[in-house]
Amino acid sequence: MDRQQQIDFILDHYENPRHYGAIDNATMVQKGGNPGCGDVVAFYLKLSQDGRIEDISFEGEGCTISQAGASIVTEMFLGKTLQDVELTPAEVILDTLGREIAATRLKCAVLGINTVKEAARVARRNRAE
Amino acid sequence: MNQGYAHPEKLVSTQWVAEHLTDPKVRIVESNEDILLYNRGHIPGAVHIDWIADLNDPLARDYLNRTQFEQLMSKHGISNDSLVVFYGDRSNWWACYALWVFELFGHTNSAVMDGGRLKWEQESRPMTREVPSHESTTYRAPERDEKQIRAFRDDVLQHVKSGLPLVDVRSPGEYTGKLYHMEGYPQEGAMRAGHIKGAVNVPWSKAANLSNGTFKPADELRSLYEDEQGLKPTDNVIAYCRIGERSSHTWFVLKYLLGYEQVRNYDGSWTEWGNLVGVPIER
Repeated sequence: MDRQQQIDFILDHYENPRHYGAIDNATMVQKGGNPGCGDVVAFYLKLSQDGRIEDISFEGEGCTISQAGASIVTEMFLGKTLQDVELTPAEVILDTLGREIAATRLKCAVLGINTVKEAARVARRNRAE
Repeated sequence: MNQGYAHPEKLVSTQWVAEHLTDPKVRIVESNEDILLYNRGHIPGAVHIDWIADLNDPLARDYLNRTQFEQLMSKHGISNDSLVVFYGDRSNWWACYALWVFELFGHTNSAVMDGGRLKWEQESRPMTREVPSHESTTYRAPERDEKQIRAFRDDVLQHVKSGLPLVDVRSPGEYTGKLYHMEGYPQEGAMRAGHIKGAVNVPWSKAANLSNGTFKPADELRSLYEDEQGLKPTDNVIAYCRIGERSSHTWFVLKYLLGYEQVRNYDGSWTEWGNLVGVPIER
């Protein structure tokens, strides 16, 4: 994608967020945020017995990069296992958003993916106990 | 606009901008914290200048050089005599920052649109996604002249030793050392927390009406800086924050709205001072 296509892709996710809204019977809710710049997200995860993400959604407010990144993450991790999530480096979101655009807004770009990765860590700890 | 400001010509209203959208002598520039806000829609004819990609050197912690500035101006169809009107998000933080950088290159024919993007949107004024194509210009800039409006760490150290006024525009939590960085901006933290010795704390946001992004009227600003903190228009003042963006807002207020003749922005700010060895810090 060229720069304009990348921008259009990000804005499409921002303006038409995928999997937006709470899941009533979610297994867990994980919140994350950069409160100083107004970026907040909450991810809802419905997990199967064997640790697979059967459903995922998010709610949030903030800048275009943070909210588009959260939307992209829901598509990225739907159907994946908790282990898949934990093993996915946060940097992959930079490739999806476009490094040239995201590089200067790293904290916004990784907010969504790091929040879901934290959710996966929490879920794994809870299952181990 | 004149609400008792010392230089009312440096502030234009949204209505003024609406009436000058196609004025060839005026170039409207949007500068934001949110890198893609401009792409979502902007004032018709406005060009976008990103504080990182366009105004900062990509390698060194510094600003673009003269040649790069000339190229930026030419690309956006800005002439040496263009009136550049800045606006943006966050009560015009980045608009003031961009105006300040322009001034480093001697482009002082500029103004800020009071209220910025927020007020324009609140008034349901026209927005477009169409990126304008302005005919390129041949812009000639002088070398950066930093003496009048930019302070470096040695200037600040001398300022402290001389007991001259410093204004820390960060939040009280940062000023008092409870926070090592602005909430949500951990990458802009420092090894030490607190403030530069002798600095007073006037958070930038006290100069703004956050409900619509406008600047407060001059009498309220005078009360804030002069009655409460004892500053005087004849003072030699340095303002700082963490990287110089919030203090650009305060620099604009002191220099143009209140008419302080000697006010500089220390863009190294706390990300430099809080990491320096052996400099005076207070909490």
